[in-house]
Amino acid sequence: MSGRDGYSGRAVSCEPEPDRADSLIYIVKPRLVLHSGSRTVSKQTSSSPDHAPSYQTTLPAKIPSFDDRITAMGKKILAGVRVEGSSIISKQFWSQRFMEWSTQTPSLKRNLFRLVDVLPSLDSSEAISDHVLQYLGDEAEMIPGWAMWGLKNSGFVSRSVMAAAVTLGVRQMAAQFIAGETPAKALSILRKIRRSGFAFTVDLLGEYCVSEKEAESYLKRYLECFSVLGPRVATWPESSSLMPENPGDARATCVSVKLTALYSQVSSLNQKRSVSVLSDRLALLAHQAKTANAQLYVDAEDSANNEIIYKAFKQVFGSAEFRNERLVGCVVQAYSRHAEELVSDLLAFSKERGSPIAIRLVKGAYWDHETTVALQNGWRSPLFTHKCSADAQFEKISRFLLDNHQNLFPAFGSHNVRSLAHACVYAESRGIPSTNFELQMLYGMADPIARAFRHHDYLIRLYVPLGPLLPGMGYLVRRLLENTSNESFLRHTFFDDRDIDALLAAPSMDPEDE
Amino acid sequence: MNTQFFVNEPFSDFADPKERNALKDALDRVEQLRAAHKLIAQPIIGGIERSTDSAVKREDPSMTQEELGTIHYGSTELADEALTSLLAFQPQWEATPVATRAEMLQRAANLMQERRHDLSALIIREVGKPWKEADADVAEAIDFCRYYAERALLFAAPIPTSDIPGEDNFLVYRPRGIAVVISPWNFPFAIACGMTVAALVTGNATILKPAEQSSLVGFALAQLLLEAGIPSRAFAYIPGAGEEIGRFLVSDPRVDMICFTGSRAVGQQIMMAAATPYPGQRSIKRVIAELGGKNALIIDEDADEDEAMRGILSSAFGFAGQKCSACSRLIVVGRQYDRFIERLVEAAADLIVAPAKDPSAVIGPVVDAEAFARITATIERARNVCRVEAAERQLMDGYFISPTIIIDPPLSSEWWNEEIFGPVLCTTSAPSFEEALRIALDSPYALTGGVFSRNPRNLESARRHFTVGNLYLNRGITGALVGRQPFGGSKMSGIGSKAGGPDYLLQFVEPRTITENTSRRGFVPEIGNIG
Repeated sequence: MSGRDGYSGRAVSCEPEPDRADSLIYIVKPRLVLHSGSRTVSKQTSSSPDHAPSYQTTLPAKIPSFDDRITAMGKKILAGVRVEGSSIISKQFWSQRFMEWSTQTPSLKRNLFRLVDVLPSLDSSEAISDHVLQYLGDEAEMIPGWAMWGLKNSGFVSRSVMAAAVTLGVRQMAAQFIAGETPAKALSILRKIRRSGFAFTVDLLGEYCVSEKEAESYLKRYLECFSVLGPRVATWPESSSLMPENPGDARATCVSVKLTALYSQVSSLNQKRSVSVLSDRLALLAHQAKTANAQLYVDAEDSANNEIIYKAFKQVFGSAEFRNERLVGCVVQAYSRHAEELVSDLLAFSKERGSPIAIRLVKGAYWDHETTVALQNGWRSPLFTHKCSADAQFEKISRFLLDNHQNLFPAFGSHNVRSLAHACVYAESRGIPSTNFELQMLYGMADPIARAFRHHDYLIRLYVPLGPLLPGMGYLVRRLLENTSNESFLRHTFFDDRDIDALLAAPSMDPEDE
Repeated sequence: MNTQFFVNEPFSDFADPKERNALKDALDRVEQLRAAHKLIAQPIIGGIERSTDSAVKREDPSMTQEELGTIHYGSTELADEALTSLLAFQPQWEATPVATRAEMLQRAANLMQERRHDLSALIIREVGKPWKEADADVAEAIDFCRYYAERALLFAAPIPTSDIPGEDNFLVYRPRGIAVVISPWNFPFAIACGMTVAALVTGNATILKPAEQSSLVGFALAQLLLEAGIPSRAFAYIPGAGEEIGRFLVSDPRVDMICFTGSRAVGQQIMMAAATPYPGQRSIKRVIAELGGKNALIIDEDADEDEAMRGILSSAFGFAGQKCSACSRLIVVGRQYDRFIERLVEAAADLIVAPAKDPSAVIGPVVDAEAFARITATIERARNVCRVEAAERQLMDGYFISPTIIIDPPLSSEWWNEEIFGPVLCTTSAPSFEEALRIALDSPYALTGGVFSRNPRNLESARRHFTVGNLYLNRGITGALVGRQPFGGSKMSGIGSKAGGPDYLLQFVEPRTITENTSRRGFVPEIGNIG
């Protein structure tokens, strides 16, 4: 929860939301030859047997048409999406402006992000206008005159007006991605989501957990999520199943838990105690979830802590008390070099406990942070260096999950239409009904894409963050970064009008990442 | 990665179970040696290990009931013998090509890499340093070897200073002579290694006298350097009591330079002793002294509180605050002070205090009984004057002190002004950033300092006016890396240029200028002849 990226290997945790890797934001470092368009040339590389051997091995007779079918489905989805309007990322005024400005120059983008980052800690309009001036004063030319009115007029009134406007703008942007401060306050939005035909899972935003007192308070907040949402949501008429045969839809309330928020001393060097303390606390949540008839996902976090997280997950849900809980879930990050071993291990775990678990497959949300840490420490990053490799591995693991859908209930978390269409078409090709998996997306990020898939009768679950604005700011900054990244599928789709064939081209593992 | 910059030795990644097991195995090996009474440090002169009558026991500060090993303290006679031997070899050592000396350092670095976890394990046991920090200690030593080996080559050849016909001008550097290194226990391997190899690579025959508390680690370093090929007559290792051996070496007329890292009081004594000429003295002794700090962190009103919290905890309490770079003064700007301090107090109370060999230990013991008594007495005195927060200490056999926060001590008090060198942080509030900066600068020390702020103007003000040796913005204030963050302070924090920095080695050499008239009765080769 802590919701921020940090330096040391402890309790860093951002939301492992369904997808961030659509926007794996590759920092341009001298040595890392990352984006520069190398990955979009997938036509050539994917047809080369060297780069995409997995298709040949897993796909029987349908090799020639499989990719065409993905493209066809992707086009259907995107057609619907683009008709709906070009501004999903930025249906709101401030988001739209933010998008425009941050694509102008790198320095303006940096300053805008830094401004958004600092705003919640400022408690007076003087402080706000002072920071706005300092961050944007030199960039005044880049921003249209009317918006700079407050900057150019130094009077008290115009300063207060500016401060109010900026605060409003940021709150508005944040409200697009964050459903409310508490479970109770988020109820109306959750109900709206459900009414629109989507399932949801809620996530709690928070600060770093630095003491046991804070860990306790997070535990309480999670327990409250189950106790407040469970009974209330159950009474909604909208809670009747969206997709009756879909086992993942059987419980209307779903909560995603970030374990590192529950113990202040999580560390790989404190391995034993971390696993045992987190298992105890996760068991309390599992119990509450059971009582509230709610589903529970344990989110993945940064690689340094994931070992502990998976151990705690297995310890609790392999125990006698919870081994029959169906579809408790955990998350697999496709950008990890170890993702394949991990899913095999989870499959074995699921068979051993005797009831299926849900796996949310995402690309991963910690790329910038972990890559930077690895570079600063001279380590080999545990994550792929290239976005295309994460995309390719996402597809490979999608097939693995679907092939094992009796034991693993797959949830595909992404905003990338190609990645999702691949899973859907593969399921179809194997005769797996669409009720045997679900798609997940972030609330507020890709609504038209979600609607388009919903329209084609797939179950969509939205990942909905709750929490106060201050810790929410880290989440907002990451969403904005995602939308403005050069690698963003959403940006290419809705802002740049990138060619559809390029958007839907098959990804292939970069040789450097093999 | 840009190749013009030095590449640091990576820390071990303890998220990898293999690394964790490797260090655990190394700790087992050290434990076997301990149990068999094989952890012994002795003086080494001319490559020969010499046992002495004065055998002193060293305890493990985490487990005081366990005797860790035995140190044979050197006598002044042995120190005298060592100096005589080094002096005789000095001309040969000076004549050894820099490239050859640099290769020895590279070989030493290779050996350290090979034995990395064993060295960490010994550090963990002898000074109670937690895993990550012990590992970083060895990594830093490797960096010092490689960095100084690279830098020494830069002034191996004469450097031309002009391009004038008929005249050659060259600057050449020669060793100062005999160097005495007196190293501290808090970075028992890294700092001892850094000072020693800097002196050696520049051609000075060198004696290492480690702190009493880290003589076993010093012995391991000495053995490793000899194994790496440092000639046995260019280097001697003499453990012993500072008052006896240290004093003797510093005062000896044959010594040309002294490299010291340690307390301000001892540093000033050394300066005085070195300034007194003794009969037969050949040169004015050069002293390099890295002394203490009373380092401040400023938390601005708009700081990222989560990041600040982590930076404070690691800077103030890492290795139980026993780093000269540690944060011991916290200045919080504005109204958030009370709430911020409450959060900090809770966070500090939950940090894991445990024996250093336990991997989960965030805070280990302080180094010895004397430190324990001094620090606890300092804390007790504070309780009579102001609010002091520390978690109840579980009874453990060892010199453990809970992380302690002294809230609002008078700014004229000992706690705010004097180095405590333990897990003790003093806090105060300031109405404005300017006032916070004024308070931070009001100290005789100027080693490290830091600011957490997202106000560009205040960050700029810190860059200009926060005149400490190492200034850190929006991060913790410890953990300087060789080459990347050259380290050292000014004012009462020391004299000398920065360790791990580009001009450090210049302190170990004497510059000489050689000018030659190259014209012969009007024949000047560069001009040619128009006749």
